[in-house]
Amino acid sequence: MVAKYVMLADTVRCIDCKACVISCRAEWETPMGYSRDWVKQVEFIKANGMPEVMLFPGRCQHCDEAPCIEACPSGAAYKREDGMVLQDDAICSGCELCVPACPYDARWLNPKTNTISKCTFCQPRVDKGLEPACVQTCVGRALIFGNINDPNSEVSRLLAEKEWVKLTTDEVNIGPNHYYYTAGEAIPAEVMPKLHDRHLAGKVMENVVNPAGVIGVGGMVLAFLGAGVMKLIGRRNEVGTHENQEGK
Amino acid sequence: MSDTNTPQMVKVREKKTIFLHWFNATCWLLLLLSGFGMISGDFVRLAPAFWPEFMQGLFNGNDNLVWVHAIVGLAWVAVFVLFVLLNFKSVVWPFLKNVLVLTPMAALRDTWSMVVTLAHLFGIMKNTQVPPQGRYNGAQRLLGTMIIFCSLLLAASGAYLFFGPMVFSFADDALCGAIFRWALVAHAASVFLVLVGLVAHIYFAVVEERESLEAMKSGNISVDFIKHHNELWYDELKREGKV
Repeated sequence: MVAKYVMLADTVRCIDCKACVISCRAEWETPMGYSRDWVKQVEFIKANGMPEVMLFPGRCQHCDEAPCIEACPSGAAYKREDGMVLQDDAICSGCELCVPACPYDARWLNPKTNTISKCTFCQPRVDKGLEPACVQTCVGRALIFGNINDPNSEVSRLLAEKEWVKLTTDEVNIGPNHYYYTAGEAIPAEVMPKLHDRHLAGKVMENVVNPAGVIGVGGMVLAFLGAGVMKLIGRRNEVGTHENQEGK
Repeated sequence: MSDTNTPQMVKVREKKTIFLHWFNATCWLLLLLSGFGMISGDFVRLAPAFWPEFMQGLFNGNDNLVWVHAIVGLAWVAVFVLFVLLNFKSVVWPFLKNVLVLTPMAALRDTWSMVVTLAHLFGIMKNTQVPPQGRYNGAQRLLGTMIIFCSLLLAASGAYLFFGPMVFSFADDALCGAIFRWALVAHAASVFLVLVGLVAHIYFAVVEERESLEAMKSGNISVDFIKHHNELWYDELKREGKV
């Protein structure tokens, strides 16, 4: 069976040391101020009046129905069979149509390359049999990566052992492959995906240009096919009448 | 129809113009096939999903397909620019004067001629005559004007789509990226507009007026054809002593 890679983040074990962010930045040499992963701190007051901080390590969720792929005009954003959502730098024009499409804000325009950057689950490392850089560096073992289709993998075992949740809402449920363990705590709204949006140009393309084009060209083809058929019938009748007259 | 066996023919088109027409048609075909194959994402693609998949597979990746599209597109522009520069006075300017619809009155007149012509095709408005037409009839003039403006937009937006990311830093200037996204919209919209007109253009050439298709191969057309379809042009040719 083909592998399907998932990431698990145990928020109870995360200490916000940001080793994952540092290792990712070192691995991918991201420019100053940019990173492919992050740790989000959420502070809130619990029902008993005590303050609490929850920590959410985040990155591309490698969704099954990734809207970034649907918004990308060049096919630079694509999904591999093993579930990784990847980005082909060679054909990415940096048009950013995919950026607002991502409900997790995982895509950004890299000012060094002028192409889109995002977490790739460290695909080159995984292909060599290594773990993603963030997972290898995580000091608290809060991040766990592996093949969910292998029943003996650590991720399969952990997923069976504890109750993990995904960052989904009623509006945004696009099959993320990133799981979180919160020890039963509700996921705060701050880390929930936002309703993905698209650039106006993308919306115009999808909702105006393409339907109008299909209706326009399709309508013309049908109309002129009709005209052709009418001409054929007319000619047949004409020949019929002519032959009748000759017969008389 | 002529009452003689060999209708009187008149040369209306030079070899180089005929070449340009078929060169344009070939480029359009190649650019359509590759272009519809390049745009991939479900939200933006112009053709059913199998086509981009097939074309990108055929060319071993979209980057190769993009290059093919760009090379054909650049060759298309280069040949047109060269043709215009070399034949501006003799062919291009007279063509533009005949074909461009630039005033509202001309647009109204041409639209009326087109409506009557199309209505006749479907067996309606039989008692309404198509007004006398010049070298290009109303529908041809409207289509020609649209194709000229769409082609300019296609060339400009296509050049930006290909060279823009190489020349400008979209990260430094958000406007450059926004222009890219709108160039994509303009490029696709122009293609659809031309395609709408092209359906009628091909139908008339292949089904209704085979003689005009022959004229786009030989450059010659019968005087009877002109007299019947392009009365004003016939008068003009007569005044010039060409027929």
